[in-house]
Amino acid sequence: MVKLKFVKLITVARKAGTVTRRYPFEGPLLTEEFRGEVRLDPEKCIGCGACTIICPPNALTLHDEGEVRVIRYFVGRCIFCGMCAEVCPTQAITITKEFELAAPTTEQLLRDLVHERVKCRICGKPFLPAKLLKAANSDVPGSENYIDICPECRIKIGLKSILEHKLG
Amino acid sequence: MIDKHGEEQIERSSEEALAYVESLIKEKLADIPIKVYRAAGENIIVEVPREYLRNVAKVVHDDLDAYVRTCAGCDEREVAGIYAVYHILGLDNYGANVVIKVPVPEDDVKVPTIADIAPGAGWCELEFRDLVGIDLSGRPTHRLVLPDDWPDGLYPLRRDVPYGIRPPPVKREEVSLIEIERPGIPVGPYHPALHEPEYFELYVEGETVVDVRYRGFHIHRGIEKLGESKLTYKQIPFIAERICGICGFVHSCCYVMAVEKAAGIDVPERADYIRTIVLEVERIHSHLLWLGVACHVLGYDAGFMHTWRIREKVMALAEYLTGSRKTYGINIIGGVRKDINKEKVPKVLEVLDYVEKGTKNLADVLFSVPEVVKRLTGTGKLYREEARKLSVVGPVARASGLYRDVRKDYPYLAYRDATFKVPLYTEGDNLSRTLVRVEEIFESISIIRQLLDRMPGGDIKVEEYEIPLGRVATASAEAPRGEDIHFLITGRGRPYRWKVRAPTYQNIPALRAMLRDQQLADAPITIASIDPCFSCTDRLVVVEVSGGRVQRVRRINLVRLVGGGRRW
Repeated sequence: MVKLKFVKLITVARKAGTVTRRYPFEGPLLTEEFRGEVRLDPEKCIGCGACTIICPPNALTLHDEGEVRVIRYFVGRCIFCGMCAEVCPTQAITITKEFELAAPTTEQLLRDLVHERVKCRICGKPFLPAKLLKAANSDVPGSENYIDICPECRIKIGLKSILEHKLG
Repeated sequence: MIDKHGEEQIERSSEEALAYVESLIKEKLADIPIKVYRAAGENIIVEVPREYLRNVAKVVHDDLDAYVRTCAGCDEREVAGIYAVYHILGLDNYGANVVIKVPVPEDDVKVPTIADIAPGAGWCELEFRDLVGIDLSGRPTHRLVLPDDWPDGLYPLRRDVPYGIRPPPVKREEVSLIEIERPGIPVGPYHPALHEPEYFELYVEGETVVDVRYRGFHIHRGIEKLGESKLTYKQIPFIAERICGICGFVHSCCYVMAVEKAAGIDVPERADYIRTIVLEVERIHSHLLWLGVACHVLGYDAGFMHTWRIREKVMALAEYLTGSRKTYGINIIGGVRKDINKEKVPKVLEVLDYVEKGTKNLADVLFSVPEVVKRLTGTGKLYREEARKLSVVGPVARASGLYRDVRKDYPYLAYRDATFKVPLYTEGDNLSRTLVRVEEIFESISIIRQLLDRMPGGDIKVEEYEIPLGRVATASAEAPRGEDIHFLITGRGRPYRWKVRAPTYQNIPALRAMLRDQQLADAPITIASIDPCFSCTDRLVVVEVSGGRVQRVRRINLVRLVGGGRRW
């Protein structure tokens, strides 16, 4: 009888029953901690690009193109670590439980968030998103005098004032 | 502390132990012009001119009973005008590393080999020859890591080689497989049913394997170069986690521990505990996975199904604790990102109970199945002496009677605070390796319970730290497959040199000893028994000596070959 001990597996199997789920007809087994696709809230995002710096696989990238700044999220590269949500200063990034992300084309895996860039008061070149300037302004009181001047022009003005001061 | 021979001993990795090893080295090597100094953590650096390397290696390896952990070549021309070779030898009785540093002048890039003294260094020597271009004298050499069509004289890990270059492939004469090996012996094809790109050639006489050749590194991804030239300190933990798909957390732990040691960052105790718990969860899942695959290879698919049913709970537990089933992504330099709070503990304990009970029941059934036990017993033998010589690690070493476990030898994280025993078997066959793993599952469960019980409060990360330049550090952890070690030299913004040695690297050379004089039919389980970790897809080469014909067979055919027409 000892030799037939392995038949015990039948009891084990009966006790375990069916563990496979009828996914997708039944819901997937996800815990509340699961991290899936991240979502960028266009209302809250100020376009600072902190998430693009921390992102380990460069799934979030920042592109300054002409009059706009694009924060691009490429799901195909995302490793769902959620570092971006941690660093976002305005909590614009939320981690969803979405994981069914396959798409027929690469373009469909790209999520773009477009920000208008403010034109420099002096040279007219677009530099930073308006929302970012507004946030910076509220952080640094008194900055409204120069906030809409691009860094290059600011340097020029600064140098000029120093020179004028020195040379009388 | 009592050592494995029952003798009284000083505590491993303690200041006392390190000072003792240092004095021992100075005493034994008094007549050789060496410089001995301490580096971060448990490392003692012995700087030696290359003409004395072999003498030093002999004394450390043979007289001090050290084993080869890894070696690394480094291009230090920018900072010191030299190349350097670091041989890392471990004195596991003291929890100390002896790092033999050999400066190599720029105009004569050559070092003597130590592979005949310490066979465990055989591969890593060839690796730095391939990647850094430090040539070896005194041993036959061949290309190990780089692909065959990579041009000569281009060494990817040299600092002046940019990241991402794609040189045009060099056409080479294809070497006939048959001509290299002894002709006349029927060369049998065989291949383990593992789902990764390894390539074994087993040469058989009748049904007995007489020799084995291995060709690997098909999936060399250049992660070290990526870390040294593109990524930042903070990004690397995430890429390190992707070195292995099964024991990735070990790699990210090793990396962050190496950086923390080099920079002297004091990690909160709670973070250590969380890391340890997650490491043990990972071990349970990996061992259950292996057990399932082993059942599958042995043709006992019912066992496979049920081990994986239990494993599924562990995967869900990992997700519950970290946010992801695999590649947890919670390790950062200075701590962890996700806390295990009190509310989570009951659920963890519940899963552990389920896994413990289920595994106990299943192991009971499994070891009563005659076909499983018979095929495991006495096959794939690796004797103790051979195991020591080849510096094997992990369950492979422990099944061959070598008491070698990083968790005990180089205590890291919270392992000092947990009591657990290290399963040890002396037979060195497939059954012992299986038993070691099964017992380790229960030990891991017990470790997690103890740590959850004793979890200290406080922060889980430190955010402010500075990483100084040019510090040498190593960090090791016991992966499910054995010891994993990372060697690191810090640089500006990213590591100057980052060398990774995964456990399978040490264990594959031992397969030759395990497979020789064995039945061909036992080869799949023997190869699987080291729990090899390559990566996806595989292929098989059938060599027919008579026709001289090389035929590649897709995996589906291979499975038919292995299973003998069984429906898989």
